[in-house]
Amino acid sequence: MHKTAKRSARALAAGTFALALALTGCSSNNANNSAANVNSNTAKGGTTASPAANGDDNAPATFSVFLASPGQTPTEDNKILKLIKEKTGVSFKTELLVGDLQQKLGVMIAGGDYPDIMSGDDKLLNAKAYIPLEDLIEKYAPNLKKHYAAVWNQIKDETDGHIYVLPSYGVYQGKITEPTYQGPGFWLQKSVLEEMGYPTPKTLDEYFDIIAKYKEKHPDMIGFESLNFDWRVFPLQNAPEHLAGHPNDGGVIVDNNKAQIFADKDISKTYYKKLNEINAQGLMDKEAFVQNYDQYLAKIASGKVIGMFDQHWNFQDGETSLISQGKRENTYIGFPLLYPGAEEWYRDRGAVGTNRGLGISINAKDPVRIIKFLDQMITEDWQKTLQWGIKGEDYEVKEDGTFYRTPEERTNADQTSWQLANKITTMFGYMPKIQGTYSDGNAADAGTQPQEFFDSLKPSDQKILKAYNKKTWSEFFKEPKENNIYFPAYSIVLKDGSAAKLAQSKLNDLQIKYLPKAIMASPAEFDGVWQDYVDHIHKLDIKAYEDRINEGIQSRIKNWSVK
Amino acid sequence: MKAVTKSSGRIEPIVFHTINTIFMLFVVAITLYPFLHTLAVSLNDGSDTLAGGVYFWPRAWTLENYRAVFITGTIYHAAFISVSRTLLSTVLGVFLTTMLAYTLAQKQYIFRKKISMLFILTMYFNAGLIPNYFLIKELGLLHSFMVYILPSMVSAFNLIILRTYIRSLPGSLTESAKIDGAGEFRIFWKIIFPLCTPVLATVALFIAVGAWNSWFDTFLYASSDIKLSTLQYEMMKLLGSTMSTNNDPSALAGNQHNQMQALVTPASIRAAITIVTAVPILFVYPFLQKYFVVGLNLGSVKE
Amino acid sequence: MSDTVLDKPVKTQKTRQRRVDPEIGVSLSWKTLKTQKQLIFMSVPIAIYLIIFNYAPIWGWVMAFQNYRPALSFGKQEWVGLQQFNFLFSDETFMMVLRNTVAMSFINLVLGTVTAIGLALLLNEIKVKFFKRIIQSISYLPHFLSWVIAAGIVATSLSIDDGIVNIILMKLHFIKEPIMWLSEGKYFWGIVGASNVWKEVGWGTIIYLAAITSIDPSLYEAASIDGAKRFQKMRYVTLPGIKATFVILLIMNIGHILDAGFELQYLLGNGLTVDWSQTIDIFVVKYGISMGNYSLATAAGIFKTIVSVILVFIANYIAKRLGEERLV
Repeated sequence: MHKTAKRSARALAAGTFALALALTGCSSNNANNSAANVNSNTAKGGTTASPAANGDDNAPATFSVFLASPGQTPTEDNKILKLIKEKTGVSFKTELLVGDLQQKLGVMIAGGDYPDIMSGDDKLLNAKAYIPLEDLIEKYAPNLKKHYAAVWNQIKDETDGHIYVLPSYGVYQGKITEPTYQGPGFWLQKSVLEEMGYPTPKTLDEYFDIIAKYKEKHPDMIGFESLNFDWRVFPLQNAPEHLAGHPNDGGVIVDNNKAQIFADKDISKTYYKKLNEINAQGLMDKEAFVQNYDQYLAKIASGKVIGMFDQHWNFQDGETSLISQGKRENTYIGFPLLYPGAEEWYRDRGAVGTNRGLGISINAKDPVRIIKFLDQMITEDWQKTLQWGIKGEDYEVKEDGTFYRTPEERTNADQTSWQLANKITTMFGYMPKIQGTYSDGNAADAGTQPQEFFDSLKPSDQKILKAYNKKTWSEFFKEPKENNIYFPAYSIVLKDGSAAKLAQSKLNDLQIKYLPKAIMASPAEFDGVWQDYVDHIHKLDIKAYEDRINEGIQSRIKNWSVK
Repeated sequence: MKAVTKSSGRIEPIVFHTINTIFMLFVVAITLYPFLHTLAVSLNDGSDTLAGGVYFWPRAWTLENYRAVFITGTIYHAAFISVSRTLLSTVLGVFLTTMLAYTLAQKQYIFRKKISMLFILTMYFNAGLIPNYFLIKELGLLHSFMVYILPSMVSAFNLIILRTYIRSLPGSLTESAKIDGAGEFRIFWKIIFPLCTPVLATVALFIAVGAWNSWFDTFLYASSDIKLSTLQYEMMKLLGSTMSTNNDPSALAGNQHNQMQALVTPASIRAAITIVTAVPILFVYPFLQKYFVVGLNLGSVKE
Repeated sequence: MSDTVLDKPVKTQKTRQRRVDPEIGVSLSWKTLKTQKQLIFMSVPIAIYLIIFNYAPIWGWVMAFQNYRPALSFGKQEWVGLQQFNFLFSDETFMMVLRNTVAMSFINLVLGTVTAIGLALLLNEIKVKFFKRIIQSISYLPHFLSWVIAAGIVATSLSIDDGIVNIILMKLHFIKEPIMWLSEGKYFWGIVGASNVWKEVGWGTIIYLAAITSIDPSLYEAASIDGAKRFQKMRYVTLPGIKATFVILLIMNIGHILDAGFELQYLLGNGLTVDWSQTIDIFVVKYGISMGNYSLATAAGIFKTIVSVILVFIANYIAKRLGEERLV
């Protein structure tokens, strides 16, 4: 027994060493290969640098890419990647984020270890890891130039006026269609509305009145839901600014181009005092501030929640689950509640996501080729391929030219495994893209196509829309006003380690800690907790935070006004 | 008096074993549950899972989650790398650690204390991310398979475990060999190493599980090379980050929802990759368990 | 042991080189080096390897005295003296964070050790080998789940709606109303301790089981002959048999008293329990790494190392005085 054990151990050892040799051999091979790649790449770089000379824009090239979001890489034979390679010669070595972004960035920056293409990031900008793009665009990328023309000044870096990152979202053309509203609102379940006779609440009192009445009849239901988990704290924190008639500027409200925090102001106190009252009435979910995101979604998906304040996209997975369970009547409609005298500004016109998109790194061997590639991708044909897919496989075209999807195509698009093989979701999220409509009138993607929307409506939906005399869900909110020039203030960069950033972070911590405490307190104690909270806020260097935002606003007003 | 002891002697084992069995069933129940639950979730439709209520058994059966895990194809190569690094780390680690532990267990050895101290201190400090990265870079180990093996070959913890064990072996075992003039290495390899089997099995398990579970080295040193990805790393891709540092809350408060959706991996797919990653390593323990009893033979050798 | 057996008188000048090991009485000389040639060959290369991989990067500690910016080369870094340490220690929440860290790791250490030894003893009493192995293999399963998943299960089990813990406690009439476990700070440490036990007890048992198997069976036989009962055998044979392992693990783990981890606390903590859930590691990630301040993380690391090393040596000294197994 002993002997055999030993022998097998030795065999195992021998086997492993052999394996080790094989692996080291193979990794050194890899090293050789990659060295060869580098050489051939630089060679190519030499030729493509003067494209007019030989015009070979479709020679094979591989770009290394880093995208700062987790996820799965597409399959090796992904249909879209294959098409891109076939038509443009470009293929990718994509690295998606694993673990903590800040640690990753620290190492990347310290080692100067950048891939060719990187998603936009303030730390990388600070480290001067991107090359300026305006000359490249000017020379080689007419389509990108056209695409960004209207926002040219807005996409420049605040500090030195160069363009480093091509924003992925917020550049619109044609008509902005938004049949399903994705933004913030006070939501109520459709079945609740139906039973209560299709009311349209306008104030907090009316809204909670509906919840109270419904809950009285259905005590099993959860009255009002909220979330205070991880970074998903906006369901708890953002309501006051909207109630007071401000658009979503993040942690500040802006009046006459002057920003201030609102966490300690009366608009906040009024709201949280109301929540405190409804908590005392037993309308607030007791676990609202304790649960994690999965639990929150589970509650939405159980159909037991009467209403909540949230941004639609944040709880949409819960609704998707409801729909797949056949409980469409338990999905939600949003309402823009307001304080007396406030003017509604829930919906806003999407603003350019400055510094959020793709940039070319200083290590890129062939920036010209990359910008040319991105330029190709922004053409309408490619955008249709990237957003809708391939005609006849992923979408169909009616005789009048309208794009639509068959039910099967729609189901496919929801499957993760199908997406991995047939879409490049994560990467496209960072690429420059057309939003709004194409020149042929079709919406940029299936999600915003009105026809798609109407096709997806079920009789129950049509009934409720009819009752409210609306055509789409976003019509429950007013058409957005023209954005203020600096909008949105939340995208103003707070430098790492600055007093402003520290104050913002500590303010957020105080909100996370004290708001639940204030809401859960007995009504008699509310004022005491609130005072304590406000006192703590006033100990912070809020001025540094507000000053920095105001500086950003002024700089935007100065630079962005110029067309 | 005598009768009482006798009957209590008969009853006691029954009572004890009953209670013990019940307790063990409890332990099994609570430790098996998370795994069964994860398995059930992994075999259940994603949207359906969200609604809650899936505990031990899938409600809406599907293999879609596993399809999503396997479809990219990277998982097979990652499994190969995981197995390779685990095997190699274990064999090398066990051998080197035991050899070192043997020398440190020799009371007359002149560097015994110094080397022990050197190792013990490593348990309590960490130079930090960036300096470690520079070291690996300078050594030319970035993006090479050996970065999985070299930096973590000998761990202080295992070393101490082995040293303690070797010290507890009776000295008489090696005396005759020493008198015969056998060298230290020979004594170690021929006498001590075989005697350590049960503790070697333990240490092998620790090293194997450690190697299997590690992903941070891939993250730091080999992340851009898909050919060096491991199963654990593939899993981390889908689990996402625990900390919110990835997300600037103020920026996300905005309408960047399209980007956000890509950030959430459905719980069902997280469950599927967890199962795929955990199952292979689970077989290591049962395999090693048989060596745990070899120690019983020791009794006959002992003084 | 015998410090009387000095083989030769110490020569005065080169005392440093020739210092006599008081314990063994072997001095560092060419002769000893020669006789211990094999031992040196077997260990010194590994020690050199260790120095390269573990000690070489320690220069990074100077980052703690800088305002390290990864984008700048080393020479261009800004030196800030003790500013990082000041930030760490002067933050008004630091004492609280330190308290939470120590409390949770202490609970983890005590609960973890006691349950692991307890389970090992009980497993050892199972005579049917097959069952013993099955139970062992199952009990360590949760070790392989990441905290993201495990914490999700904990949170669901503790929910007031349909959380299994509340359901069972209500069925057993221990409580009348479901308890909101996760919204009260006073439960938090206990929940973390229990979760850790649940996830790691099987894993922690392995090492004690291995130690138990190495106990000489003749000792049990002798005890039986002396009329020892089950619990007496545990008390007088098994426990002394694993004492060395226990003491060594204890000394080593005392050094980790400031490592309470962060994942579990981060995932289970919330605004209402933040005063109990925040650990040093969370603090460092929040105000250090996530704000690009890598120096703060280094400063905290140095602080933790100093505390650890002091504690370990105290523990080691105590063990030495008590005549127990020890680290050094």
